Amino acid sequence: MTTRRDMVKRDGRRAALLGALVASAALLAPAATQAAQSASFLDGVHRQSTLVSTVPDNGDQNPYAIVVAPVSAGSIQKDDVLVTNFNNAGNLQGLGTTIVDYNPTTKKLSTFATLPRDLPQCPGGVGLTTAMTMLKTGWVIVGSAPSADGTTKTKGAGCLIVLDPNGKVAGTIAGDNINMPWGNMATIDDGRTATLFVSNAGFGVGSPEGDPRVVNEETVLRIKLSIPEGKPPAVVDETVIGSGFGAQPNKDVFVIGPTGLALGPNDTLYVSDATGNRITAIWDAATRDHSAGVGRTVTKDGLLQTPLAMATAPNGHLLVTNAKNGQVVEVDPISGEQIKARWIDPNKAQKPPGSGDLFGIAMTPAGDGFYYVEDEANTLVLAR
Amino acid sequence: MSCPFAPAKTGPSRRSLLAGAGGLLASVGVGVSARASAQEVSADAAAREMFFGEHQAGIATSQQTSSYFVAFDLVAKTRDEVTAMLRLWTDAAARMTSGETARPLGQDLSTEAPDGGSALGLSPARLTLTFGFGAGLFMKDGVDRYGLAVKRPEALVDLPKFNGDQLQPARTGGDISVQACADDPLVAFHALRELDRLSYGAAQIRWAQTGFLPNTPPGETPRNLMGFKDGIINPPLGGAPTTPDAPRGFDDVVWVGDEGPDWMRGGSYLVARRIRVSLEHWDRTEIDFQEQVIGRHKYSGAPIGKSGDQDLLDLDRLDKDGNPLIGDNAHVRLGAAAVNDGAQILRRGYSYNDGVSFTAERWPPWRQGMMYDAGLLFVAYQRDPRTGFIKIFENMSKLDALNQFTTHTGGGLFACSAGVREGEFIGQRLF
Repeated sequence: MTTRRDMVKRDGRRAALLGALVASAALLAPAATQAAQSASFLDGVHRQSTLVSTVPDNGDQNPYAIVVAPVSAGSIQKDDVLVTNFNNAGNLQGLGTTIVDYNPTTKKLSTFATLPRDLPQCPGGVGLTTAMTMLKTGWVIVGSAPSADGTTKTKGAGCLIVLDPNGKVAGTIAGDNINMPWGNMATIDDGRTATLFVSNAGFGVGSPEGDPRVVNEETVLRIKLSIPEGKPPAVVDETVIGSGFGAQPNKDVFVIGPTGLALGPNDTLYVSDATGNRITAIWDAATRDHSAGVGRTVTKDGLLQTPLAMATAPNGHLLVTNAKNGQVVEVDPISGEQIKARWIDPNKAQKPPGSGDLFGIAMTPAGDGFYYVEDEANTLVLAR
Repeated sequence: MSCPFAPAKTGPSRRSLLAGAGGLLASVGVGVSARASAQEVSADAAAREMFFGEHQAGIATSQQTSSYFVAFDLVAKTRDEVTAMLRLWTDAAARMTSGETARPLGQDLSTEAPDGGSALGLSPARLTLTFGFGAGLFMKDGVDRYGLAVKRPEALVDLPKFNGDQLQPARTGGDISVQACADDPLVAFHALRELDRLSYGAAQIRWAQTGFLPNTPPGETPRNLMGFKDGIINPPLGGAPTTPDAPRGFDDVVWVGDEGPDWMRGGSYLVARRIRVSLEHWDRTEIDFQEQVIGRHKYSGAPIGKSGDQDLLDLDRLDKDGNPLIGDNAHVRLGAAAVNDGAQILRRGYSYNDGVSFTAERWPPWRQGMMYDAGLLFVAYQRDPRTGFIKIFENMSKLDALNQFTTHTGGGLFACSAGVREGEFIGQRLF
C-alpha cells in the first residue's frame, strides 16, 4: 500500500520552505490505490534538492522550460540544464527573454541567451515558454508566447526561435500554424533531420477580463526539420497532428492550455490537456498526415490536477506536474493507471500546497531522477 | 510670573509650555510660568537624547516607537549652499532634540513663524535626528556638483540589484537622508517638517516613509506586522557579552573605524529598504508553516524547538530524520552570522502602513486587487555595507522562504557621518 510517508517524503529544505504537508486520503484516487503495487519510478525518488536560483542578471522570473543538453556545443556542456524564464523582472508574464544554463558539475548558473524583447518575424515579440529543445547539432529551439502587459489581452502569436549554441538568434519559425507555442517539446532527433512536436495555446485566446470560456482551438503541430551542415535548421514540413484542445485565458496564470508532450513507444505522442484535466494519446505521431483530434484519452481526473509538463521515466511511465497542487503524478500510459503522486512542492503559501508552483520537468541524463522548477521561488530543483 | 510672550526675547520654548498646568491650549493667552518644576525637568531629561557626541544619535539609541524617514535630493548649486543648510539643520536639530522649537520664536506675528508650532507643549519624546549622505552628494548624473567626488568613501557603493527587487525610483535613493525617531509620532514629524522648511532652495524631499513600533513593555521584543517578534538578534550593546548568534560586539559591527575617512570614523552606513509584506497572503497561511518560514515559534519567539526568544538558534539541530529543525530556507537561518561568514548588522527597522493600493502579487496564486501597502521599513546600520547587508541579502534575496511574501519597493544607502561635536555642523569634517 502506498502510505502517506511514501507520498510525502521531504528533505530539510522543504521542511523550511514548504512546511508541514497536507495529507489526505482523497489524494489517492481509487485507480491509483489499486495500482499501487505497480513498479513505480517515484518509489525510488527520495529527496529534493534546490540546485540554484534561476534568476539571471536582468531579473527575469518564472522559470518554465527545462532541457538537458544532449551534447556539448558552443557555450553549453553536455548535461547542462537549460531553463527559460517566462516573466520579466517586473514579473509580467510573457515578457521573459532569457535562457539560463545550469552546469551540474560546477553548480554555477550562467545566462545562455538574452533575447531582444522585439524580434522581427516573431509576432508580438519575445516571452519564452515551456517549448524548448536542444538538438544534437547544437541548435536550441525555443517558443515565444509574448505579451505587452503580462496578460493575453495584448498577446502576440509568437514563434519558435532558433538559437545557435552560443545563444545567438539564427532564425525564427512562425506562420499560421503557430500561435503561442506553449508546451514542453517532444523531439525525434536524427542529427541531420529532426522532428519537433509543439503544442499551441493561443488560437482563439483573447483577453482574460470577465469570465472567458475555454476555446477548443488549440493544436499539436509536427515540424520536420532538415539541418544542413553548418546551417540552421530549415522547415521541411508542418503538419497539425492534434487539434481541438482547450485553452483559457487567465489574468493570474496567463493561459491554461495543452502543456505536456512526451513520446512513447509505437510512435505515440502523449499530450497533457490541462483544461480537460486528462492525458491523451495521438498515434502514428511521426507519420500521420492529418489531425487525430485530441486523440485517445489515456487517463483523466484522479490525481491529475490540471496537468502541465511531462517527462518519460526509464520505466516508460509518464511523470506529469500538476498546476493546482505541488504534486508530480506517475502514469502508466499503456494501462492508463495513475500509479501515484508525490509532493515535490508542498509549499503551504499556496492552497492547496504548491498550487501554481510547478511547470517544467525533465529527466536527468542517468534517468535516476528529474529536474523541475519552482515558480514561486524561481529555483531549479533536483529530485532523485 | 511672566508672560511667555513678553519677557523672553525669543518667545516661549516648548518646555515652558510643557510646564504649563493645562498644556498648550490652557497656557496660551493666560501666561504661565516658563520655569518647570524640578520633577518636570527630571522627566524632561529622561525624554531627551543628546544630539552632540562621538556618534550620531538614533543608531545605538534604544529604539523609539515612531520614525519619520526622509531622503532629500539636493538642488543647491554650490557646496556653500549645502553647508549653509547643514548649519541650519544642526542648530535646529540640537534645539528640537532638547525640546525646543526649531528656531527661537519671535515676537513679530506678521512674519512666518520660525517654527510651525505643531509640537509646542510636547516632550522631546527622546527625539533623535540621524543624518546620512547618499552617493548623489558626491556625484550625480556624472556631475561632481560640490567638488566632493574624491571624498566618496569606497564603502558607499551603489547597492546591487537584488533578486526580486521592485524598487520604484520615486521611493529609492536620495542625496541626504534624515531619520527622525521619537516616542511621539508628532514630534518625529514635526522635526522633519521643520528641517524641510530650513532646506528650501537647497534640498527637496525625494521620498518619505513613516514607521511605528508597538508599545511593547520594556524588555520585550516588539512584534512586526506578521505577528512575529522581530529584531531579536542584534549586536550586543553596552558591554553585553557576544553570543554564537551575535559573535561580534556592537562597536565592531556598527561603527566605521580607521579603515574609513576621518569624517566617517565613528559613523555608520545606513541601508534602508521599504519592504511591502503581502499581509493578506500571510494571514491565510497556517501558523506552523509561518513558523517554518521564519524559523521561530510565533507566540514565544523562540527558535524552532526551543522555548525562549533569547535562546540561541543552534542551527545544527536535526530532527529524527536528519532534517535541520530550522530549515535551509528559513529566514533566521539565512540571516544568521553563522551562514554568512560572520556578517552582522544592526537592525533598527519600523513597521509601516500606507493604507491600500492596487497590487499584483508576485507569487502563486498571483492575486490582483486592492491590498495593504504595509510592511517594514527595514533600517540597518553597519561599518561596511559590502560585508554587512549586501553580503547577507545577496543570498537571502534568492533563497529566503519569506521572499514569497515580501517585495522590496524602495530604499537607499547612506553614509551617516561621525557624531557632531558642539560647535560643528553635521558632516563638517567631510566639507
